[in-house]
This record gives sequence, C-alpha cells and structure tokens, in this order.
Amino acid sequence: MLTILSLFGRSPFAPLKSHMENVSRCVLKLRPLFEAMEAMDNDAIERIAVEISEQEHLADLTKNDIRNHLPKSLFMPIDRSNLLKILSIQDSIADCAEDIAVVATLKPLKLLPSFKQDFYHFLDKNIEAFHVVHQIIHELHDLLESSFGGLEAERVRIMIDDVAFKEHEVDLIQRKLLKNFYNAEEEMPYSSFHQWQSIFKALGDISNLSENLAESIRMTLVLK
Amino acid sequence: MMELTLIILILLAGFYMSWSIGANDVANAMGTSVGSGALTLRRAVFVAAILEFSGAFFFGSHVSKTVQSGIINAEIFAPNPQILVYGMLSALIAAGAWLQLASYYGWPVSTTHTIVGSLVGFGALVGGMEAIYWDHVGFIISSWILSPILGGILGYYIFTLLRKQIFYASDPVTAAKKLTPIFVFFVIAVFAIVLLFEGIGNHHLDLTTPEVFFWAVCIAGVGAVISHFIVARIEHTPVEKPHPVYGPDVITALEKAGKHLRRVQAATAGEVQYNVSFLIEEVDEINRSVRRTAEVADSHAEYQKVEQIFAFLQIMSACLMAFAHGANDVANAIGPLSASIAILTSGTIAASAPVPTWALALGGAGIVVGLATWGWRVIETIGKKITELTPTRGFAAEFGAATTIVLASRLGLPISTTHTLVGAVIGVGFARGIGALNLTTTRDIVISWIVTVPAGASLTIIFYFVINTLFGT
Repeated sequence: MLTILSLFGRSPFAPLKSHMENVSRCVLKLRPLFEAMEAMDNDAIERIAVEISEQEHLADLTKNDIRNHLPKSLFMPIDRSNLLKILSIQDSIADCAEDIAVVATLKPLKLLPSFKQDFYHFLDKNIEAFHVVHQIIHELHDLLESSFGGLEAERVRIMIDDVAFKEHEVDLIQRKLLKNFYNAEEEMPYSSFHQWQSIFKALGDISNLSENLAESIRMTLVLK
Repeated sequence: MMELTLIILILLAGFYMSWSIGANDVANAMGTSVGSGALTLRRAVFVAAILEFSGAFFFGSHVSKTVQSGIINAEIFAPNPQILVYGMLSALIAAGAWLQLASYYGWPVSTTHTIVGSLVGFGALVGGMEAIYWDHVGFIISSWILSPILGGILGYYIFTLLRKQIFYASDPVTAAKKLTPIFVFFVIAVFAIVLLFEGIGNHHLDLTTPEVFFWAVCIAGVGAVISHFIVARIEHTPVEKPHPVYGPDVITALEKAGKHLRRVQAATAGEVQYNVSFLIEEVDEINRSVRRTAEVADSHAEYQKVEQIFAFLQIMSACLMAFAHGANDVANAIGPLSASIAILTSGTIAASAPVPTWALALGGAGIVVGLATWGWRVIETIGKKITELTPTRGFAAEFGAATTIVLASRLGLPISTTHTLVGAVIGVGFARGIGALNLTTTRDIVISWIVTVPAGASLTIIFYFVINTLFGT
C-alpha cells in the first residue's frame, strides 16, 4: 500500500554528478600526460593513457546507466532532452580527453621549446574552463534545492559567464600557439605535425564543450 | 445467539478495517516528517495517534454518515433488515480481503474506493438498481477525480509561493522567517474553522458562522504571533546542527575499507569490478565528507536554515494531515459497522440514524492500535525512502492535500487520502520542486480506480452468499 513510495522515481542528478566525476578524472590526467611527454617517459604516457581510457569507460557505463533509467514518464524539474544533452556533452569531454591520450601514444612526440610555453598555457586554460563547469555540476544539488532560481542561480550564472570568458581566452591563446607551431614546422616530421594538430583540436574542444555544457545549464535557470 | 455472533463478527471486521487504515495509511501524513528529521519516530507515532483519534472522533461523523446511509437506500431492505446486515458485513470482509491482495501485489488501491465499490456492488445486485442513490455515488466518484486534482493545484501554488518568495529571495532565511507566521496563521485557521464548526454538535458550542471565523482568526493570529517569536529566536541561537565529531579511527577504518575494495577491484573483472568501483567511489565520497563536514555545511547553510525553519511548519501540516486522514478514513470502517449494529440492536431500519459516538471512538482506537502495532514500521520505511520530500516540499504537499481532505470530509465525501497526497506531491513536482517523479504511478492509480469498484463489488457478492448460507433463514 506504499503508493506514495512508488511516486518517487530514481533521480538522475546524483548519477549525473558521479558521471561528471569520472569525466573530471579523465581531464585532470591530461596535465600529467604532457608532463610525462616532456620528460620523454613513454611508459608513463602509456600508463596514463590506459588510466584515462579506463575512466572514460567507467563514464560510459554511468552514462548508459542514467539513460537506461530515464523513462519518458519520469518528470523532472528540468527538461528531459536538456538533461540528456548535458549528459552527452559531459561524455564528449571524456571522449576528447581519451582522444588526446590515444594520439599521444601513437608515436613518441616531442614538446618543442618553440611552442612549449604557449602549449602549457593553452592546456591549463582548457582545464580551467572545464574545472569551472565541473564546479557548476557540483552545485546541482543546491540548484535543485532552490528550484533553479534565486541566489544559487545567480551564483551559477556567474560561473557560466566565467566559462564563456575562459573559452574566449583559450581562443586567443590558441591563435598565438598555432602561429608559433606553424613557424616551427621544419623542426618536426610530418607525422608529429599532424599528431600535434589533432591534439590541439581535441584540447580546444574541451573548452568549447565546457562552454556548451555551461550554456545548457543556463537554459535550466530562472533568472530575474 | 445468531445476533450475538453477527455483532461480534461485525465488530471484529470493523476493527480490522480501522486497524488496517492505521497500519498502512497514517504513514502518508507522518513519514516525511520523520524522514526529514523534524520528528523522531516515537514522537511522530505519539502525535499521529492523538490527531488521528481526534480526527476520527470529532470530525469523522460526516463521512461515516455518507457511507452508512448515503450510498444504499436502506428502506428497500425494510421487509428483511437481516439482508442489509449481511451485506454490510460482507462489504467489510470483502474490502479487507481485497486490500490484503492489493498490498501483496503492491497495487495503489484505496480503502475508500474498495468500501464504496463493495457497498454499491452489494446494493445493486441484492437490492436492485433502485437500492443505490446513484446521484450520491456519482458525486462521490467525481470527488475521487477532483480531490487529487485539487490537491495538486494547491500543492503547486503553495510551492510556487514558497519558491518565489523564499528561494528566489536575495536572503532566503529572512524571507522564510517573515513568511512562517503567515503560513502558521493559515494552517491553524483551517484547523480552527474545522474544529469550531464541529464543536457545535458535540459540545453545545453554538456559534454562528461569523463567530466561527472571528474565533478562528483570533486563535490563528495568536499562533502566528507565537510562531513569529519562536522563529525570531532561531536567529540568535546558532542554527548549525552539531556535527558528530569523527575520531581518527573512523577515518582510518574508511581508508582501510577503500584499500580492501581496491584489492577486490584489481582481482575481478566485468560486472563485479564495475560494481566494486562504485563502492570505492562511495567510500571515497564518505571519506571526503567525513573530513570536510564543517566546510560543506557552511556553503549550504542558507538553504539548510530554510529547511530547519520549515521543519516546524511541516510538523503542523503533518498534524493537519493526520487529523484529516482520521476524519475521512474512519468512515470506511465505521460506516458499515454502525449501520449494521443499529439494525441488529433495534431490529428495524432507521433511514437516517446518527453515527454513534462510541463507534467513532472504536474506529479511532482501531486506527491507533494499527499505528502502534504495524504503522510505525511503515512510517519508518517511508521516512527512510522518501528523502526528496524536504520540509519545504513536504509542507507544500501536505498542506495542499490536508486542506482538500478536510474540505471533502466536511462535505461528507469519502475520498482517498493517499491519492490526494499523490496529487499534491505531483503538484509540487510540477512547480519544479522534486528531482524525479514517476508519473506511471498516476496511470496505475487510474487503473486501480477502474478495477477496484468491480473487484470490491464481486468479492462482496461472494462473501454475501457465503454469509447468507451460514446465517440465512
């Protein structure tokens, strides 16, 4: 006779947060990955790539779990399609991190001094953008409590603006990085050149996706 | 001799029905207050027992009268009143059996619908179509559809009000403090109006309608002022809940647990490994939260304070809900019981016999016994499982549902308290208050509406023929 119990569905928000944790573990391994590359430690690169790929797999499992338990009849305070979009963007971020790790293992790469400084700058800004959006997902609990409005929404809005700004900064750094990179084309074989290009592309995608994710969350807010 | 056996059987069946109401449905009112920590289990059971009993005793007569003489036209049975007694008894037994079956399979069946279905089935098949007041029955059935909708609308608007005025305010805690006396005023006013209108009959308190409203406003005003001071005092005392201080042994134990789980993870593959990785994550999460309890509490302090303030309001709305539940649902047991006892003791059919006070007391006692023997377990279960209904959400849902039920009880309409509460919770959900609502429940409820009435009716007929062959002349 516990009718009232059956009314409460399985909330997807806690698994969504734990999915984001998995994604964040992928992204946070990128810095050690490139540090290992700088130190020419190929074993470490391989190991980190495997770790990232494992985390990505865990993220996939969580993602499938959320999707499997999201029937049409589940009524949530945010749009179902929006939730699925948030989930799929989070997952794409993990995919990006995995792509980067895979490209880095294909053939030993050298972090050339001509663009090393800019590259680390670029890498860190991307991770920073992701970090802010990670914080936003962490705030989901409070957003739910405040029904996506008020102080908490304001706080999240500021963070969303921050992500957008960081993404813009990434674009500026990327321009500078690419200039130096193209100028250094003679210093590396074509295969390395292409590998680097793929890595830049995927890294830039992390901040782009972070911005998309932040914008999807903005859609759920009630702002004055 | 035969009559004595019948009386005992009817008393037992009626008591069983009220026991089952107390065992299963009281949790709807009290469960979330226990879950949110506003009340301890012991206090919740105590408060619920008092309010369920007084709801049944002081306010249960309207709906009981409807069930007793508003569905079946007793005069049809005047030549042979025994038949009506058998019918009422079989309706009670059938309803009890159907509820057992439904709770075994987990169907969202309502006690009220079962009893009404049983009575209609018996009346229509044994006494003929003209034995049923079809217009009354139509009215009752439309109230089954309207009550969840009204509960939902109230829940929606109450929570929208909370959301706009408190959660969207720049200072949620101050806003909550300002609004609390107003809510207290309305909760007490609903309570007072109900009790004062009722006081007329039972305690010879002859008040005219304006007088009732005057006194209700006075009492509610006093309550609001008191609540204002209570809430104002919260500000001065530190509101942070004292966090249990964990010793270093707890942290080391947690770390050990994590280490062992990692070993399991390394040694396994596939699904086991996947599940273990979740466990590890959970252990790590607990580990982190144990270390940082103070920090976390700080960042969520303002919403926590709002919930703390609303814990008081939730207790009040839960009380109103328990009262309304007692008032409405006691009829399911007492209506058929008092109808048949009246016939057995007087030997004739009185078209509009009043509901005897002792019967209401019996029903109330049955509910309390049900609560004490089994209901507390259900309260505990609900409290543990429904964590989403925090005090603000719980208050909105319970106040919306309780107001609807009180209104229906006053109109003498037997409605399902559970379905009304479901409607109110969905209303809160539609106001973006709840993380995930399973709307298939509404479909199941509609199916249960359609199935319960014929099922109750056919079971009653079966029991009627059994009883008729055992006792019949």
